[in-house]
Amino acid sequence: MNSLQTETRHIRPYVHYHCGCPDVNKPTTDLESEKEEETFDIDSPGIHFSTFPISKLYFCDDCHQIRCPRCVQEEIVCYYCPNCLFEVPTASVKSERNRCARNCFQCPICQNTLSVVASSEPQPTPSPISPTVPTVSATGAPYYLSCGVCRWDSQEIGMTFEKATGLALQLQKTEDERPDVKEFDHLKDQFEKHLRHNTPSTTLPSSLLSIPGMSGMNSFSSRYGNTGLAHSQQKSDDVEKYEAAVDKVEPENGLVDDLVHLTDVNQITTLTQRMNQLSDQPYKVERLQPQRIHLRTKRVKRCRSCRHILIKPEQKAQATRFKIKLVALKNIPKITIASLPKLILNQPTQIVLKFSNPLYEEISVDLTQEEIIIQEETTIQDDCGKPTLEKVTIGKVTILAPHFNITPYNEVLEYEEDLISSRRAAKADIGIYEKRGNSTSIILEITPLAEVEEFKFPLLVKYTSKNTENNENEGVTTEEKSSGETNSSKAITSDEIFADESNEVTKTLSFWTVIGLGNVIKAPTGTSGTTVKGPGSRTEPSGSKGSSSRGSNSANRSGTSSSKS
Amino acid sequence: MEPPIVYYHRSEYIETDTGNKVSRKSVICGSQNIILGGKTIIQTDCVIRGDLRRTGGGHAVVVAIGRYCLLAKGSIIRPPYKTYKGTFSYYPMKIGDHVSIGEGSIVEAATIGSFVHIGKNCVIGRFAIIKDCCKIEDNTVIPPNTVVPSFSIYEGSPGVFVDELPECVQDLYELKTKDYYIKFQPKDS
Repeated sequence: MNSLQTETRHIRPYVHYHCGCPDVNKPTTDLESEKEEETFDIDSPGIHFSTFPISKLYFCDDCHQIRCPRCVQEEIVCYYCPNCLFEVPTASVKSERNRCARNCFQCPICQNTLSVVASSEPQPTPSPISPTVPTVSATGAPYYLSCGVCRWDSQEIGMTFEKATGLALQLQKTEDERPDVKEFDHLKDQFEKHLRHNTPSTTLPSSLLSIPGMSGMNSFSSRYGNTGLAHSQQKSDDVEKYEAAVDKVEPENGLVDDLVHLTDVNQITTLTQRMNQLSDQPYKVERLQPQRIHLRTKRVKRCRSCRHILIKPEQKAQATRFKIKLVALKNIPKITIASLPKLILNQPTQIVLKFSNPLYEEISVDLTQEEIIIQEETTIQDDCGKPTLEKVTIGKVTILAPHFNITPYNEVLEYEEDLISSRRAAKADIGIYEKRGNSTSIILEITPLAEVEEFKFPLLVKYTSKNTENNENEGVTTEEKSSGETNSSKAITSDEIFADESNEVTKTLSFWTVIGLGNVIKAPTGTSGTTVKGPGSRTEPSGSKGSSSRGSNSANRSGTSSSKS
Repeated sequence: MEPPIVYYHRSEYIETDTGNKVSRKSVICGSQNIILGGKTIIQTDCVIRGDLRRTGGGHAVVVAIGRYCLLAKGSIIRPPYKTYKGTFSYYPMKIGDHVSIGEGSIVEAATIGSFVHIGKNCVIGRFAIIKDCCKIEDNTVIPPNTVVPSFSIYEGSPGVFVDELPECVQDLYELKTKDYYIKFQPKDS
């Protein structure tokens, strides 16, 4: 079931945006990078790490560029417990070991949250399920932890509580006595003393100091860095000899014997269970302990290039709003596949791409190429049995309308819009399927020439927006002129800002996208079941199959619209 | 991928003044205890148990659902119950705006925030709290009393945190639910 789901998710059509990640992959030579920009190899193995759906991308206002999750720096602004949603002050995060210090515990068996339950009887009789439990449950402490999923409860391991609140505090004593905790504290004491002594002053921001180990980084780098090596060497010499506070923890007696004579797989812990209890990683189920829940964070995200803040959440743990939110969805045109018929081998098929404009200014889009030929390098065995690299043409994509405008986003219009009834009058533009609200849908003609599992093609999108109060007809001409001037040599995410006398600012941005359309089938008749398509395949302009002779676009359009009504 | 236009039989659905579209083939119990915020779609074979209300007392809101919500085919909304100090009682449920609940899912949560997407065949346990901006994947079981914090994706049985949602999820889900409502159109045939 699960594997099937992931499979369909891969085949599902998508539009992914490419991020050049200028700060992550520094180009080795300028020549090489330029070559890369112009072609944009969609078959490179790194494609999955550099293309993202638009929802995951950010947009830096200052650099005027797309930023992907790899191109942002994160800073923690707030720690909170995901269960009780209490905010934990940064100062106490470290001492609480990044876990909730209230009542939130994780089930050691199934990792679900545990709830506090009061023993039903005030005088609990020795329960039949836990005959081995020592004195604690006999004393009859009234509260215990219980899992709602696997029915585990803490009485099984003899863990009960006097009060229903501050459970972590009640457990603190036993936790502090664990040998691993003791040893860690001892180590920390030893080195903190030393580091404090050696570090003249901390230059790191206080927010970083809360990260365990970070406070030491500063002195570390100063000690082992190139500068001041000789100066600090004498200081580092006086590290006291470390003596372990606890003797080496002996492995459980007879553990190997127990494992050898194991009959039931449920008697030992699973890997997940062991990894959740990192301190001792027990093999025996009885030794599993409920763990306090890990804290989660809210983070500020900054552009790596200019350090400007792209995302700034509100400080409060429960707030979902953002003080600053520069996401790509609100800043660059959004491309969606509006209709996608089945792709049949050697048969020209028309798909509709919808471009939406999130800006309050009109933008003009330039798709630069009118025809894209997709080739793939494959190794073919020749007659002598030698594998040779050969380029195979997989398909051809024809863009009928490479230049078009999109009207600005209008909040008021959104409410008035009645989707079905407003059949837009047929536009004179060739290759434009529909213009509605803040979006323009264009027609692409796809001719698959090889049977592939995933038909995908790159698309370079260049758009120009202008920042003016009076965007009249005169504006369009300057805009077109400027878009023509931005030559294709500076292809990827290059932007030019034009300001002419009339105080008009035109901004141009270009970016690569990869559009995946699912698989290509051989059968001329679309037998259902062989293809896995997204939910939208029902809206396909079915008329396009019959009237898909290249060039007669007006006929195609009328065919598609009639099929819909 | 653009979602398709969904046509329904005009006679099957009742459209209220505030734009709610409720299927006649759904089971709505205790409708006087149910509030729909407007432009909410309740599809075929849904069950909303507004009759399961707190014992005693007069008129009370049992299920409050916000705007632009979608209860897909066969989903069940049932208020949570527990025995507190020896008395059995049902407790009210609140669902925010722009929430979509997938086909065949059973919801017994105490609160579901706004901008939440629940997949198909999910079970949301009693008194679960789902905060704003969350996604529950298909076939997930959220155990009783679980808190799902904002911007998280939960998956599996029992449902565990698997990933974070992007910051623009609010806009994304708002667009999606509005789009679905606009494209949910009657057809005479």
